[in-house]
Amino acid sequence: MREVITAPLPGLDLRRHYGHFQSPAIRAGGLIFCSGMIPVDPHTGERLHGTLTSEAHVIFGNLKLLLEAAGSSLDRLVQVHALIYDSIEYNVLNRVYRQYVANGPPARTVWSAQIEAGFKIQLDVIAAA
Amino acid sequence: MSLPRAVIAPPLSGLGAKDAFNRQASAAVRGGAFVFVSGLTSVDPATGEAIRGTMALETQRILENLKLILEAAGTSLERVVKVNVLVHSMLEAPNMNEIYARFFPEPPPARTVCGARLPHGAKVMIECTALAPDDEP
Amino acid sequence: MTSHRLPRSRVEPANPLLNVSRSANLPHVPGIRIGDYVFLSGMGPIDPLTGERKHGSIAEQVRTTLNNVKHMLESAGSSLERVVRVHVVLADIADIAEMDRVYREFFPVDPPARSAWSMQLRFGNGCEIECVALVS
Repeated sequence: MREVITAPLPGLDLRRHYGHFQSPAIRAGGLIFCSGMIPVDPHTGERLHGTLTSEAHVIFGNLKLLLEAAGSSLDRLVQVHALIYDSIEYNVLNRVYRQYVANGPPARTVWSAQIEAGFKIQLDVIAAA
Repeated sequence: MSLPRAVIAPPLSGLGAKDAFNRQASAAVRGGAFVFVSGLTSVDPATGEAIRGTMALETQRILENLKLILEAAGTSLERVVKVNVLVHSMLEAPNMNEIYARFFPEPPPARTVCGARLPHGAKVMIECTALAPDDEP
Repeated sequence: MTSHRLPRSRVEPANPLLNVSRSANLPHVPGIRIGDYVFLSGMGPIDPLTGERKHGSIAEQVRTTLNNVKHMLESAGSSLERVVRVHVVLADIADIAEMDRVYREFFPVDPPARSAWSMQLRFGNGCEIECVALVS
């Protein structure tokens, strides 16, 4: 059984705003597979470029909304790929990241990758339903 | 009782593991409720030879091969839940997206796209996870 | 139809020197067990006898890392044979053939699905390996 989790707020519909051919998340087999989360305004979809820290706060806020709409939560994260634009910001990533996963953090791998629109961070996550 | 784990036999020799597209890897493995497909780069499905060209051409070739692999696993593009796309340059993501949009039926899977250095001069690599076929009669 | 929630728990290596999350106070766990799957965090070439980074040739680094992965899987009640998906990230894409040569020692038969690519890695590591496995 494969269910689409639709965007809980219009700004999180990246297909509508940016043409990304994807659903926000898919629930299947007891897991929730999320599309790469980027720092956009959850109401308007506007890109919110900033520091890695500010972008991370926006992303986690959006992720919380998405997971809760799917009946899950940040506490149910299983695996995260934390994409950062440069590994030099690793410590900055950790400082902001730990604020959101205090209750039993998930597994994580940090990837230094080129991210869309020049964002400094993107989160690619799987959560438990 | 442990969950079933089975390697999917490649539908064409060029899509096999070892000497073909991805060295010591199976094209796809069923594990429990899901089928896990290796990161695919553009190859000739009969010979496994690399096919290099534009982003659009490579994306097209990969997704055609993916379709064959998923069908060999008893599943389909429709049952894909998550795709990870790695591109040599994010500037080319729209070129990939245009072809990609022609392959996946509605509603599309979740997806993450990012830029990385890929093997053997490939412009794009696509991996995915799909729901395994239902075993119930 | 609502299905019951899968049980979620953390997985830690029997050898505490491989628990980089804990020793470096990082906001992650070495692995998460969810239902019948275990998802491991990326692992690098850490010497299991000292807990320190162990570099050297890419072959040595891959071997060290995969031995650590093996240990983590076994600590989680799984094994290399039960791995379904592997991500290998290399600092240098030119290392891919050498990586594969060592890798096949660990996954000689019916290997898992794999994606291998190159990205900038921290601490001068030559490789980082992450995987998903079934728990027996």
